[in-house]
Amino acid sequence: MTALLKLWGGYLRLTARWPSIGSIVPFLPVIAAWWLVTALELFPRVFLPGPVEVAQSFVTLTYKGILPAYLQDSMVRLAVGAFWGIALGIPLGLLIGLSRRAHAVLWPLLLFFQAIGDIAWLPILVIWFGYGLVTMTFVIVYTVIFPVVLNTVLGVRTIHVNMYRAALSLGASRLRVLWEVVLPGALPNIVTGLRNGLGYGWRALIAAEIIVGTSGIGFLMFDARRAGSVVEIILGMIILGILWYIVDSWILAPIERATGQRWGMVMR
Amino acid sequence: MRLRHQLIAALVFVAPFAVLLALWAVLVPYFDVNPRLFPHLGAVVEAGSEMIQDGTLFAHIGASLARVIVGTVLALIVAIPLGIAMGVSEAVSLFLTPLFRFFSVLAGIAWIPIATLWFGYGFGAITFVIFNAVFFIVAYNTLLGVASIPMPVRHAAASLGAGRAAMLTEVLLPGALPNIVTGIRTGLGFAWRGLIAAEMIATNVGLGYMLFVARDFYRTEVIVLGMIVIGVLWLLLDRLVLAPLERATIERWGMVQRA
Repeated sequence: MTALLKLWGGYLRLTARWPSIGSIVPFLPVIAAWWLVTALELFPRVFLPGPVEVAQSFVTLTYKGILPAYLQDSMVRLAVGAFWGIALGIPLGLLIGLSRRAHAVLWPLLLFFQAIGDIAWLPILVIWFGYGLVTMTFVIVYTVIFPVVLNTVLGVRTIHVNMYRAALSLGASRLRVLWEVVLPGALPNIVTGLRNGLGYGWRALIAAEIIVGTSGIGFLMFDARRAGSVVEIILGMIILGILWYIVDSWILAPIERATGQRWGMVMR
Repeated sequence: MRLRHQLIAALVFVAPFAVLLALWAVLVPYFDVNPRLFPHLGAVVEAGSEMIQDGTLFAHIGASLARVIVGTVLALIVAIPLGIAMGVSEAVSLFLTPLFRFFSVLAGIAWIPIATLWFGYGFGAITFVIFNAVFFIVAYNTLLGVASIPMPVRHAAASLGAGRAAMLTEVLLPGALPNIVTGIRTGLGFAWRGLIAAEMIATNVGLGYMLFVARDFYRTEVIVLGMIVIGVLWLLLDRLVLAPLERATIERWGMVQRA
C-alpha cells in the first residue's frame, strides 16, 4: 500500500513538473485494456482490431503517403475555413455590437441561421457547388462564424461605457476608439468564440468529409467503413482526437488564457 | 403596458424574417432562378403542406426526435452518476480528466463510421452516436463540476454530520449542476449535428435522410423545407428546454459563487 502511495506521489510530482506527461500516462491503461480485450478475442477481430494492427496501419498509410496527404487536406480546409470565418465574423460582430439598428435587423436572423446548423446545409451546397473545396469551406465558415459573431457582440457589449467616454474625452477619433477600446476590450470573448467555433468547425469538417468528401481524414474513415476495415476507422478516430487535442490545448487554450488574463484582469 | 412592450419586441424580432421572406418571394421569380438551384417560396409551402397531409413530415420529425430523446436520456442516466463518482476523489479525477477530454473531442460525428459497422444501418447506430456525443461531454463536465466544488464546502457539510446520501444530494449534485447543464447544452448541440449527419448516411427515415434523398432528385424545395424545420426545432429545443434549465441552475448557483 505504501509503495503504491509512494508511486502515486512520485507521479504527481512528475506531472507537476511536466504537465504533458499527465495528459499521456492516463492513456496507457486504456491502451493496455484495449490490447487485452483484443488479445483475448472477446469480440471478433474484424469488429475490434488491436492497437498493434492500428499502429501497423498507421505506418503503412504513412509510408504510402496517403495519411500525410489526407491530413494536409483536412488541415488546409480547416485553416481556410477558419480564416474566412474570422475575417467575416469579427467585423460582423463589431457591427452588430456597436449599432443598435444592425442588432435589431441581424440578431434574430443570426439566431435562426445558427439553429439550422452547418450539416443541414450540405445537401443544397452539393447541388450548388458540387463536391469540393468550396462546399467544405462554406460549411466550415458557416460553423465558425456564429460563435465568433455571437461572442464578439457579447464582448463589445461588456465594455464599460466609461471606457468609451474616457477615450473620447481624450480626443480619440471613432476609428481609434474602435481600434484601441472596442477591439482589445472584446478580444477575450472573441478568442473564446473562436475556440468554440473551431471546435464545431472541426466536427463539421469531419461530417462534410464523411458525407461529400473525396479526401481527408473523415473520408479515410468512411472509405474504410465501405471496405469494412475497422483498423483504418479507429486509426482515423485516434488521429482526429490527437490532432484536435493538440490544436485545442496547445494553441487555442493558451491564447485564450493569455488574452483573458491580460484583459480580463484589467476590467476587474 | 407590459403586454404592449412584449408585443413590440416580438414584432421587432419577427420583422427581419418577414423582410427575408418577402425578398425570397419577389427576387427568386424576378431573376427566374432555376428551381433546381433554389426553390420558390410557394413550392416550399406546397411541399410542406403536402408532406404534412400525407404525414411523412411528422414521421421524419418523430423519428429524429425519438432518437435524440432516447440517446440523450440514456447518456444522462449513465454520465451524471459516473461523473460524480469520478469527481469525488481528486486523484481519480486528475487521472481521468485527459481521457475524458480526449473522448469528448471525438464525440459525435467521428463515431459514425464505426457505429454503422458495429450496429448496422438504423436506430442502433444513430442512437449510439447521440449517446456518445452527450455521454462524454456531460461526464467530463460533471467531473469538472464536482472537482471545482471548494473543499471547505465539503468539509463543512461533513462536519455538520452529512452522511453520504446527504452529501450527494445537498453538496455534490447542486455544486456540479451548473457544469452539468453546460455539458448537456454543448453535448446536445453536437448530438443534434451528429444526428443530422448520421441520418444522411445510416437510415431510411428522419430529417437528415429527408434532406439527403431530396438532394438525389434535386428537390430543393424539400431540402429548404427540411432546413427550416431543423432550424425551428433546434430553436424550440434551445428556448423551451435548455435556456430555462440553464437559467434555473447556472444563474442561481453562479450568483452564489460570485458573491
